[in-house]
Amino acid sequence: MNFPILHIPGLGDGMTIALDAVLHVLISHGLAIGAVTMVVLFQALGAFGRGAFWTRLGRSMLGPLVVTTTSVGAVTGVGIWFITGGLAPGGIGALIHLFFWPWFIEWIAFTAEVVLLLTYYSLWDRIGDTRPRLLLAVGCGYVFMAVLSGILISGILGFMLTPDGWPEGQAFVQAYFNPTFVPQCVLRIAGGISLGALVALTWTAWTFQGAMEERARALRLCGLVFLGAAAVTVAGGAVYFSRVPQTYLTHWVFSVATSAFSQQPELLPLLNGAAGLLLVLAALAGVARRPVLCRILGIPALVLCVGLVAEFERVREFVRGPYLLPGYLYANQIPLVRTLAAVDEGMLPELRWVRENADDALASRSGRALFDANCGVCHTIGGVNDIKQRIAGRTLEGVNAITSITQTMVPFMTPFSGTEQERLTMSTYLYSLANKDARPAPQLRKEKKP
Amino acid sequence: MKPWTDLFLTLPLPEHWLRIVLFVTFGLHLLFVLLMLGTAMIGLYFFLHAWLLGEPGQQSWNGKVVASHLGLKSLAVVLGVGPLLVIQVYYSEAFFTATGLFGYAWLAVIPLLIVAFLSIDAFGHKLGTRPRAHLLFGVLGLAALLTVPAIFTGALSLMERPDLWSGVGSRGLAADGGHVAHWLFRYLHVLGAAMVFGGAFHLFFSSRNNPERAARLGRWILVAALFQVVVGIPLLASVAAPLSPAALAAVTVGVAAVMALIWGFRAQEPEASQPQGPLSAVRLLVLLPVIFAAMLATRQWVQDGALGGVRAEALSARARQAVLLSAHQPQALAAFKAKLHTVYDNGKTIYEGSCQPCHGENGTGNGATARRLLVPAEDLSALRIDRTYAHKILLLGVPGSAMPYFTVFDRRKLESLLDELDSRFSMLAAPVAKSPVGGEARQAWNTTCATCHGQEGEVSAFGKTLQPAPPDLTRLALEPARGLTIITEGYPGTVMQPYRNLPEQVRTDLAALSGQLRKR
Repeated sequence: MNFPILHIPGLGDGMTIALDAVLHVLISHGLAIGAVTMVVLFQALGAFGRGAFWTRLGRSMLGPLVVTTTSVGAVTGVGIWFITGGLAPGGIGALIHLFFWPWFIEWIAFTAEVVLLLTYYSLWDRIGDTRPRLLLAVGCGYVFMAVLSGILISGILGFMLTPDGWPEGQAFVQAYFNPTFVPQCVLRIAGGISLGALVALTWTAWTFQGAMEERARALRLCGLVFLGAAAVTVAGGAVYFSRVPQTYLTHWVFSVATSAFSQQPELLPLLNGAAGLLLVLAALAGVARRPVLCRILGIPALVLCVGLVAEFERVREFVRGPYLLPGYLYANQIPLVRTLAAVDEGMLPELRWVRENADDALASRSGRALFDANCGVCHTIGGVNDIKQRIAGRTLEGVNAITSITQTMVPFMTPFSGTEQERLTMSTYLYSLANKDARPAPQLRKEKKP
Repeated sequence: MKPWTDLFLTLPLPEHWLRIVLFVTFGLHLLFVLLMLGTAMIGLYFFLHAWLLGEPGQQSWNGKVVASHLGLKSLAVVLGVGPLLVIQVYYSEAFFTATGLFGYAWLAVIPLLIVAFLSIDAFGHKLGTRPRAHLLFGVLGLAALLTVPAIFTGALSLMERPDLWSGVGSRGLAADGGHVAHWLFRYLHVLGAAMVFGGAFHLFFSSRNNPERAARLGRWILVAALFQVVVGIPLLASVAAPLSPAALAAVTVGVAAVMALIWGFRAQEPEASQPQGPLSAVRLLVLLPVIFAAMLATRQWVQDGALGGVRAEALSARARQAVLLSAHQPQALAAFKAKLHTVYDNGKTIYEGSCQPCHGENGTGNGATARRLLVPAEDLSALRIDRTYAHKILLLGVPGSAMPYFTVFDRRKLESLLDELDSRFSMLAAPVAKSPVGGEARQAWNTTCATCHGQEGEVSAFGKTLQPAPPDLTRLALEPARGLTIITEGYPGTVMQPYRNLPEQVRTDLAALSGQLRKR
């Protein structure tokens, strides 16, 4: 552990990254790829003489899209770098060394994407009427770059779940062109276009000003694009998940349901099915040219899309379980080989950046440092996935026994890295933490009926 | 199988190329950052100027200035990713350490930028129509925006002072005079540079047909350039390491160019009728890039000077450790592959991973992990338990013992585990047939056992306060032999004490009785 360890109290690291990343995915896929593609499609229809209203509709969407993608989308994208760099420098640092070139090329595509979007936006009012096809070329260039940057990033995300032969062979080609690369590209791009079509559908239903017939045509197009793209998304998703190892897939129910709902696993397929159905209904309302129905269904459908995107990203991030980079690094940024070495060498000598606090006993400081290094990436103290709650009621030697078998007891937990003595130090710290200000057992305060 | 490598040791390009790429990409990023900051400052300043002096006609020009912020900030943000990539590869140790030590302030950059960008977008929207609202958004946006370079300069100046890292790590960002002074001047220098370059940008692109504007911007640039000189002197003096000859040469070129710039403006002052002649435009176009490149080169050389040693040291330490760790690679990969092929979706696997370490392969509680437990792991082979109750124990664990709870497995997996327990140990079977129980044992139960276990085997009110609480004998029974052992020996670590002084027949009867209380 060469770098300072930073964790987010309360929310926890995972939730913090998720909040930023899900917002980014929604904007980068749904708006930057999906909705802007719809704008370009509308502009193309206008440019090829299918009616001036297409151009008006496209223009009305473009302004808010430019503001959102450049002010929030790009910043949350950079935010993923900042947050992961702060919370998991060992992980992101390893990834960036391995995937420098895809990321560097993606950066060039990203820059080109922004330049083209700004050009498209600033040229629209100047040459939109006089040279619509030139404008269209700029728009198509933008869509190409946006899709390209989506493709480039998929290889890296895929590696984090299915590194294939890389742990043994360590060849870049094995790492980047891994089994989930292609299906993930399809899934993300088609998913983005579906979401974009739904945004365009809702936008048209609520804001379109013009003839009823024109609005109906626009709604129909949005509905059809959604249905087509959604079918591809589902197919891409099916191939994607078929390539994820079974040992990871089996965690998906818990990753979504968490401890709170893990005993009602049948709810999940039901809820997902209902959400999917509502999306299809919203699109069918568009195909059937029913503006009022589109208005009613559009907004809940978009809200459900937020949920579905969050669910997919949660599953993808969670199911790889104890690993940040399977075959190389555990989720707590400790390399697999380092855990083995730590049995004899210990971890404490490496934990250089421990904050001194006059109130803490030395052993407690060490216990905290070991907790931060080993567990803090998933567990907080007093917040999300609270460690005090997890071990409440267990005896001290019980906690010490549990920390010795974490990786088999819970298949997605990392093993403890450190010596036996260090583990006892940490267990003692956690035990005292969980039992500090301990109250009498709940039964004493309130009779609980079984 | 290849030997284990520390990924931090692999470089995508030779070192000098990485330094060149860093210089170029950071230069691009910084240029747009300065233009963005300068534009926001100019926008707010001239907005206030027009509003307070009652020149509403000027606001349309101000609106154009602020509108350019959208593109400039977009480019500033995306161009920032390039140098971020390179610095994370080239100065991994220093960068991640300094930003990690800066902690939450470093992460605050993201919400600050979102607030700043959205506020400035709102500020520029129909500027001047609702001046109070615009003032609010403008001030909020600029304040958030100007906080960001304060964080960046703080983190980067800490990065260039490796001797401070361990102190900051153990005691927090305590005030170190040298660092704070350097940080302050560096921050002010960035703001000054933003005023110069932002001013020049709008001089060329927004005020070509507006001589009066151009004159104002010219004065703005002059004041900013003078400010840079004033701040630059203490900034140079507060650099931690002595400047290398290359850095010294670069800074000399930069200072000379700034002087030429200032001199040019001064010489122009009397010609009020033609404040921005073509000559001065050419002069600006030549001098500004020289100043920019010179200052950027100085920065890079100062950084390289401060971090070269740290970098080499960190890399050689990593290389040494990688050799040692490589010995563990075969074992690590074997364990990884074994785990990859273990699917935790069936009772058998879950038993082996989650139960067996304590309860043992044959369920008797003799697993290796249970050896040091004060409350021994239960002998599962002697339990006869109702399925719902068993599920409840899996969901709650047994507080007061080491038995954890297993909500990490969804219901289907726990049901499968219960099936496995049943097939291994007949755990869910009906209790043994009833046998007659003597009166002495019944009396002992009522007077002694029932205190905790309850008259009918349900846990008494007192029993519920115990940690661990006794099991609910109306739903869980023990094989008589196991019951007899517990009654005779007690259950270590609990209040169940040994009753070996009771006559053997009474103990046998009590064991039988406790097994007959099960109702479900």
